[in-house]
Amino acid sequence: MRKIDTFSAHSLKILDKNLDEFKNKFIYNLALFKKDPRATLGQKFHSLICYFINDFDVSNVIKELDEKEQIIWKNLENILKDKKSNFIHTEYPFLIKDILNGWNYYLTGRYDAIYKEDDEYIIYDWKTLNLPKNPEDDLQSVVYLYCASKIFNSEKIKMRYLSIEKLDFIDVEFVGAQKYKNRIDEIILKLKDCD
Amino acid sequence: MLINAPSNTNRTKILEDEYFKLLQSGVSAENILVLVQNSHKKKEFINEIKSRFPLGSIGNLKIYSFSGLIYNYILENWALIENSIKNENRKIIPNLCGLEVSQKILKDAIAQVDFTGYNSKTSLLHQLFRRNSLINFNALNKEEVQKRTKILDESYSNEAQLALDKYKLKSIELRAFDYVRQVNLFEFLYKKLQNNFEYIFLDDGDEITPALLAYLEHIKPTVKEFFIGYDILGSSRLGYLGAISVDFEKFLNQKANIPFKDNDKNINAKKILELVRADKEIEFDNISSKSFLKRNEMIEEVLLKIKNLINNDGIKPSEIALITPNSDDFLKTTLEKSGFNFTFLTKNEKLNQNKLIGYILELLKIINDTNNQDVSSYVLKGIFIELLNLDKKETIKIIQEYKLERDFKNINIFDLAREKSHEQFQKLVEIYEKIRFEKLSTQLYEIVSNFVELREEISKDIIKINQLLKQIYDFEEVFDNVSNLELINQLENTIISENPLSDDEMDENSIIVSSAQKIIDYSYKTKYQFLLDVNSENWLKQDIGPLYNAWVMQKSWDKETFELEDNINLTKDRTARILYKLYLLSDNITLFSSVYDSLGLENLGGIDKYFKNKVETVAKAQNPITPRPDQQAVLDYKGGLMSVSATAGSGKTTIMLLLVDKILSGEILKDIESKNIFVLTFMESAARNFRERIKAKYPDLAELPNISTIHGLALKIIKENNNFSRVGLDYDFEIVDEIKRSAILAEITYSIGVGADKVDLYDSAISAYKNELAIDNTFVTQNRLFLSVFNAYQNKLKEQNLIDYDDLLLLALKLLKENKDVLEYYQNLVKIIIEDEAQDSSYTQQSLIMLLGGKYKNIIRCGDINQAITSTFSNSDVKGFREFMNNSYNVEMDRCQRCATGVLDCANGIVDWSKEKKEINPFSSLIMKPVDGVNIVDKNAVSAQIFEQEIDESNFIVSQIKQIFKTEPNSTIAVLLRSNFAISKWDKLLKDNSIQTYKNSENLINNPVYRIVLLILEFISNPFELKTTKQVALELFELGYYNFDTVKYANSLNEPLFLKDDFEEQFFWDMTYFLYKNHYSIYDLVSEIGSFYFSNSAHKDNISLVATIAQKTMNSQKTFENTVLRLREIQFKNNFANIKFFSTDDKTQKQSRVQIMTLHKSKGDEFDYVFIPELTQDNLCFDVEKYKLKENSKFIQKVKKEAKSELDLKIEIIEENYRLIYVGITRAKKKLMLSSAKNYKYFARVQPKAPSEIFEGLNYAKN
Repeated sequence: MRKIDTFSAHSLKILDKNLDEFKNKFIYNLALFKKDPRATLGQKFHSLICYFINDFDVSNVIKELDEKEQIIWKNLENILKDKKSNFIHTEYPFLIKDILNGWNYYLTGRYDAIYKEDDEYIIYDWKTLNLPKNPEDDLQSVVYLYCASKIFNSEKIKMRYLSIEKLDFIDVEFVGAQKYKNRIDEIILKLKDCD
Repeated sequence: MLINAPSNTNRTKILEDEYFKLLQSGVSAENILVLVQNSHKKKEFINEIKSRFPLGSIGNLKIYSFSGLIYNYILENWALIENSIKNENRKIIPNLCGLEVSQKILKDAIAQVDFTGYNSKTSLLHQLFRRNSLINFNALNKEEVQKRTKILDESYSNEAQLALDKYKLKSIELRAFDYVRQVNLFEFLYKKLQNNFEYIFLDDGDEITPALLAYLEHIKPTVKEFFIGYDILGSSRLGYLGAISVDFEKFLNQKANIPFKDNDKNINAKKILELVRADKEIEFDNISSKSFLKRNEMIEEVLLKIKNLINNDGIKPSEIALITPNSDDFLKTTLEKSGFNFTFLTKNEKLNQNKLIGYILELLKIINDTNNQDVSSYVLKGIFIELLNLDKKETIKIIQEYKLERDFKNINIFDLAREKSHEQFQKLVEIYEKIRFEKLSTQLYEIVSNFVELREEISKDIIKINQLLKQIYDFEEVFDNVSNLELINQLENTIISENPLSDDEMDENSIIVSSAQKIIDYSYKTKYQFLLDVNSENWLKQDIGPLYNAWVMQKSWDKETFELEDNINLTKDRTARILYKLYLLSDNITLFSSVYDSLGLENLGGIDKYFKNKVETVAKAQNPITPRPDQQAVLDYKGGLMSVSATAGSGKTTIMLLLVDKILSGEILKDIESKNIFVLTFMESAARNFRERIKAKYPDLAELPNISTIHGLALKIIKENNNFSRVGLDYDFEIVDEIKRSAILAEITYSIGVGADKVDLYDSAISAYKNELAIDNTFVTQNRLFLSVFNAYQNKLKEQNLIDYDDLLLLALKLLKENKDVLEYYQNLVKIIIEDEAQDSSYTQQSLIMLLGGKYKNIIRCGDINQAITSTFSNSDVKGFREFMNNSYNVEMDRCQRCATGVLDCANGIVDWSKEKKEINPFSSLIMKPVDGVNIVDKNAVSAQIFEQEIDESNFIVSQIKQIFKTEPNSTIAVLLRSNFAISKWDKLLKDNSIQTYKNSENLINNPVYRIVLLILEFISNPFELKTTKQVALELFELGYYNFDTVKYANSLNEPLFLKDDFEEQFFWDMTYFLYKNHYSIYDLVSEIGSFYFSNSAHKDNISLVATIAQKTMNSQKTFENTVLRLREIQFKNNFANIKFFSTDDKTQKQSRVQIMTLHKSKGDEFDYVFIPELTQDNLCFDVEKYKLKENSKFIQKVKKEAKSELDLKIEIIEENYRLIYVGITRAKKKLMLSSAKNYKYFARVQPKAPSEIFEGLNYAKN
């Protein structure tokens, strides 16, 4: 099963859950493309935050939002505005090379934003849907934190899931690279079993 | 760093090394921009970096294709653009959509601009799209566009500008930008923003566009270092794809590294560039060529070669590439049947060409059709069998029910025997109810998720479905007022790959079939390249239209004019670059060509001319012919004007072939090649025959002399070098065929109220009038009624981007007269021109011939005034030939070796008889003489008889024919008739007397492939109709298939065939096979039926022609049923879309059969026994006083500048009657019988009829 050697948090979640679904989606490309209105709204907020952090004037673009959404934005803006300069990256893609039993694989994804204060990195993840129930166990946290530790060569990292609507958040502290890697490898091994 | 090296070197590897070094030195990947040509190359570059990198973070790679860079740049910085737009239709994320969305916006914009008089609306959309992308990719500003408008003398530039401005405004309003429009936004952005890239890597630098160059220029001051890989000799996309040849040494002010030494291959590749540019031929050991007559034969040879390579030499399929600009249905169908895997990297695949998507779209149409219109049973069958997986037999029943009910939920599904079918249909009804008012994207999603089983084998289909879904989402996002049906229609016509290249998956078990450009774009290396159709003009297709010109719209264009020579040189240069790049990508190249394309039309010449044909002048040994002295005179030709008067049966064709042979060998004229020799025939069939005979003699001659009809030549001239744009035509103009012309005229005559029965009359009058215009283009007829029909007709043609055959000649003439450079080009080319049947040539044709041969003045015109038989219904001008004879060296071939001496005497006697009448002069002074020892000596070869009753005449002829077949079963017999009308009567009469016939007619239905295919289509179209099934069995039997038991079986059916289970019966098997078979395209269905019945017969070459006719009919008729009806309706037409069937010369077809045809049609043919019955005065009058002029003939005169007097007209017709009977007489080799009766039955009444005066003439001749 060397056809695929690059994984995202999302694809690992599916692999963890159901091997066949993983194969259909990521090896045979059999997944149907579906546009979810909720996700579309999420994308809009992602872009808005991005523009905002990058110091673009967003007074025009926000007119696309309805009244309720504009209020959400205003609240979010208030929280972000003082921290703007601490965001070192937005929409930041990553690519990590790793090894498992002599076989190279890659982890990829895109951080919504990276916040740095002193020597601590906070990985922000904007959520329009619910916050994760078990964030420590969530593969997104596992992959994101593991990769960040490689990118920034640091263990002073945490992951912050922030609800755009409610403005509450959950933090997940970095536990240990090896633990994360074990978890990731364990999932990837499911795939190697069917070689 | 500059690396100048061709694409077959390790150039990209050097760039990758440098990139890697930079990363290792601590430069962040974010600060290095890598630009590659397309997503395929991007993937390759990323994979290389990934594999080389040590464990850990590789970084934020900025590796893009140019369009990818733009896309991401806009998304990141969109707010900046939004802030500069006034329109308040705000968007947080713009719609970065595909071309299909802009197609709709542009279409709406075009509708708002008045393009009065512009040829074709479909083409307008294409024209403006190309104009827009050329302007954008070449980064032309308004002044630069205006300058080019002036150079090109464009007539619609203001309208084009207006439409494009409206389009741009609307795209801003909707925030919808395709990849071409995105270039504008990108330019706006990079000028506003700071550049963050410290290092720039660029590969394939020779293929970049001015728009990308402008960006690089802009950021240059802030870039630390550039790394550019390019091939100074490359730029295959120059011109038409907006590439620009950049002087990178100047750009970076540094010398380029040339890291690789030229190996033999590179040295040869460079030679290719030089040779092509200098019009010299390429001759390398690893390039060979093969040429064929028919495309079918060419593809068979290609497949044989592939088979040998794979099976015998162990070559992997992926090491072979087939490269052609003509990747059509015919090629696909033929290749797919071979059993090898092929991957088509085609340029123009439409979405609905994918079978699965096609059926889904059809189902969506049904769901969204609120009018419940009739749906083709063929479509329903596809949906039910392929998509819903219903039982086949049940499907046919449901279809019948659906066609009555037109609503899924009203169908009684309880009859469905199979549980699975029942469930599936139930599910369809439920889904239908659930989604019928939903958005199209939801409908599509639901159908696919419910009815398409996701399996590995269909992963390519799913990729396409996802593309479709994405397009629909784009549409729904941008437009809120497009109905689902309108959207489906728009999507159906979308060409997927007009958008930037997607990364096609290459499979090592698959042979690539591709255009040359895609092979180059992908740098796809193979051991073997097979270049197909190398003599097709599509290899040299130029990107020029009335509203754009890819050459002049190049950024670097600095000339004040655009001449034919520019076009020729630039095309040559681009071809040189393409062949250069192709050569670098392969070890062995084989060129394949065929005289005819898959429609049976002659290929007009492509890249074949750049390759040396090693065996060019080696003729295949054939039996030597010793010419007679009268023939030798022709072969002694030394140049100049020569007229040849050749009597019937003088062996003219053979001598002309010998003459061409002699010219080809260089014995007559020096420095002459195939391309300098022009042979013009009267009929296309004669041209084909001539080509085939030359080809048989020189099997390896890739480029034949130009052998065509005058219309074929005119078409070639108009098409070549983009000349059509000089006469105001669009590139996709077509020649109106007989069927369409009649339809147009019927519509006009009906609407003007002159009576739809006048179609034929106006048809001839229009042609006559156009001939008058050739003589004097300022002439306007005084006949106002005719003029209104004529103008309406011309407008209709223009609207549909059509021209007729008369226009073809007129336009070619106009082109040559008004464009000195074009005239010079052809006059230099035409070193000798030979015309056959010169007596039938019209004024326009003669002008064209004299003009073309005007420089070298080597013009030979052959004809026989005595056989001029087309002047009464065409524009032929026998006087012109007479004049030419007076002004040229005249050779007489007066020996006829065909006819028995008695027949010769008879023909000569008729010539003498005509001299009895002072007022007429039908013949020349040429008297036919026999050839000693060749002609049959038989003084009694001619008989004539006048019978009392019609039945006596026919009984006598029937008995004679029976007698002949009894004693000489292999002899040829013909019945020659005055009119087409009489053919069916004699056909029936002979058949009723158990005499088999062969109708020499070009009717579609006369072609066995057309006939059988149509029958089976009729069966498929209506399997419930027992009559059709019986007819199919009977006709198939008559054509030699199955046996008489099949006919009995079909006749005994009392329920539809497919409802039975007669598995023992072959006919049952075959018919149900075709009934249940689901080809998405009718082309494939017809191909399969055709191949089933004809694959081993002489007719097989016509299968693709019939398939094309069916496909074209389907395109206009939409439903399968209407297509089948239409194919039956046009069965007696001679031609469809100007497709000409290959004559099979199937002797078995004619053996032991009486050939029935008109006297006119018999010209050029010969038979042992000839019967010419029904020679009444009405049919063939020889007396000016007795002849009653028809109203039609008078009418045609009225549209002319100088109308002939009634007397002159009568004389002309009578003279032609003399020649017509002369032609009839001279067809007979052994015996000739002319007859008439005194009484004939007309419409159930017996009427007395005076016999023709010809009987007096025969008496005269006898004495």
